[in-house]
Amino acid sequence: MACMNEEGQWIVLMGLLVAVGIFFLALIINQSALVGQTTAEGVLEFPKNDIRDLRAAVFDYVDYVDRFGNANNRSSQAVRQDIIAISLERKNAVVDFDVESPQNISGRLLYPVTIHYNNGVTKYDERVYY
Amino acid sequence: MRADDGVMSLDFLAGFTIFLLALIMVVSMVPGLLAGLGSSSIDYDAVAYRTGVILVEDPGWPVYPPWEMNADPDEIERMGFSVSRETPNVLLSTKIERFFDSGFTAGDYRSKAIFGDYPYSYNISIRSLDGAYQNSTGEPLPPGHGYGYIRRVVKIKEPGVANIDDRFASQYAIPNPGAPEWNSTVRNFTVQLNFSKLLDPERDPAYRIDPRTEPVRVNIDFAQYCTDSSGATLQNVTFWKKDPTRPNARFTRIPFSYDEENADLYTLHTDGVPRSLAPGAPVKSSISLVLKPAATSQFTLDQNSILDIRFTFEDETPHTNITGIHHYDYNTTNVALPALQPAVLEVAIW
Amino acid sequence: MVSEEGQLYTMEGVAAGIIMLLAAYIAVSTTGIYTTGDTHIPDMQLEQLGSDVLAMMDTPDTAGDSKSDLENFVNTNNGDEFKKMFLSYCNATTSGDLDNLHMSAVVVYRSGGEIREHQFVAPDDNTWTGRENAVRVTRWVQLPTTRPAGMPTDMPNDRPKAVLVEVLLWRA
Repeated sequence: MACMNEEGQWIVLMGLLVAVGIFFLALIINQSALVGQTTAEGVLEFPKNDIRDLRAAVFDYVDYVDRFGNANNRSSQAVRQDIIAISLERKNAVVDFDVESPQNISGRLLYPVTIHYNNGVTKYDERVYY
Repeated sequence: MRADDGVMSLDFLAGFTIFLLALIMVVSMVPGLLAGLGSSSIDYDAVAYRTGVILVEDPGWPVYPPWEMNADPDEIERMGFSVSRETPNVLLSTKIERFFDSGFTAGDYRSKAIFGDYPYSYNISIRSLDGAYQNSTGEPLPPGHGYGYIRRVVKIKEPGVANIDDRFASQYAIPNPGAPEWNSTVRNFTVQLNFSKLLDPERDPAYRIDPRTEPVRVNIDFAQYCTDSSGATLQNVTFWKKDPTRPNARFTRIPFSYDEENADLYTLHTDGVPRSLAPGAPVKSSISLVLKPAATSQFTLDQNSILDIRFTFEDETPHTNITGIHHYDYNTTNVALPALQPAVLEVAIW
Repeated sequence: MVSEEGQLYTMEGVAAGIIMLLAAYIAVSTTGIYTTGDTHIPDMQLEQLGSDVLAMMDTPDTAGDSKSDLENFVNTNNGDEFKKMFLSYCNATTSGDLDNLHMSAVVVYRSGGEIREHQFVAPDDNTWTGRENAVRVTRWVQLPTTRPAGMPTDMPNDRPKAVLVEVLLWRA
């Protein structure tokens, strides 16, 4: 053919324009649906109740140490191992905690407690006087 | 020869028709892409969860002086029910009562509990399992499931009450009224609150008696202390404070408008009749006083003060044999602290 | 009589139409619509509710109680009362209607080097069909030296123990 007739190309161009517009719209919608999902997943992901519960369990342990003796006797160490082993196996979290000898803080005798928690996504370290 | 400039060919028509048909089909599919995606409805559950956390796990702001005692809504930054930061899910009854009273507009709830740029519709309700609390605020729920929702289980802490009844009959009665040291016409009975013992930091805030945030309730079963059938005249009820950390600590009378009845600050009932704090009227069977935290905050007490509530009885000859000091403390015979009440709180946002 | 000049337009029209349809089909089939289940919102609501209920059962009602209700139930191996109280707390709503949640529970303990479970509340069998995802909530409980009656014999009897109560919660 001597010269190609290019007159109909504007129709294809319109078609292409509409296709590009649809892709752009689809991109926006795809991203907007993620907003609601990640909010709820973000809430689920942070182990707020697990950490609170762990702190309560550690404070119960400190109460036990306070009543019955030091943190190094066999029973206290066994309770500590319970918490560490069960956390690893069932809660998929590495926890560690240490209780030191009591100190006098503004007139009260308090135990310094160091708590470490790591479930792979969230890491939590705390030093608290109880 | 005919010129065919203005004539469209049939093929062109066919091609253009196909194009238009395809365009129409595509455009009609686009609303299907956008279905179910209103821009604000994605958020509802997240906002409801956040409001639930603010109400149940946060004590509000300002914490001290507590927000629920602030009569001006503009000075409240955030409303929360929790007793303290360390006791989530344990709620204080005075905060709940203030939240649900009618002084707040919808805009107040949105800016102090719900937050967010968009004016959400809301419904916040609480019910205790024994039915004592049943409150809600906001609009009725929309039908169906098109709203964000969270439900929290909580326990409600209620203020304690000192019931001075027949268990104390011998303790607060004058053993020998005829003896010379009892020959004055004035009889005094005191209820003492020692703040350094009450606000001891060793005590868990969920089981604490805090007169700065909770009402002080005293019920006296007066019939056993009344020695005359016409009743003993209760002249006045006065408040005294002492700061034991000062040298030469003495009790000083607290200035207060004792003559005015003010239900926001206190209620005093003698034999069931409401009175001001200087009734000057005879009492036969019962006295009940509720001192609200709004009044206690006016007394400028600190965490070492001792607050005395003195009931003064005077007649020409003494008509009562009551005397003594009743300690408003953690001894369960002196003050009955109610058990924590389980309850459920729901927040719906749409 | 019939000229071929307009065929160009037909072809172009067909090509444009095919492009648009292809684009629309690809776009619609890849975005997908998220149901609420995908967004894990009901899971979050259920998990928060379950954690709340366990925390409230672990809060003594008065300062004089040395043990909370949860500790008492585990210490006496009373699965029935535990189930009753748990369900009464988690099915309560502010309108007074009851929700339809079911639960089962195990107690996880450490014996020697191993972690073992003891079935505390058995799941009721009639809800195994037609239920939504279950969530798991946990709470630590301290047990005294003496093993509570009814607990498995490989639970240590000579030292105090920390055990984990795991509750599985689902909506039927």
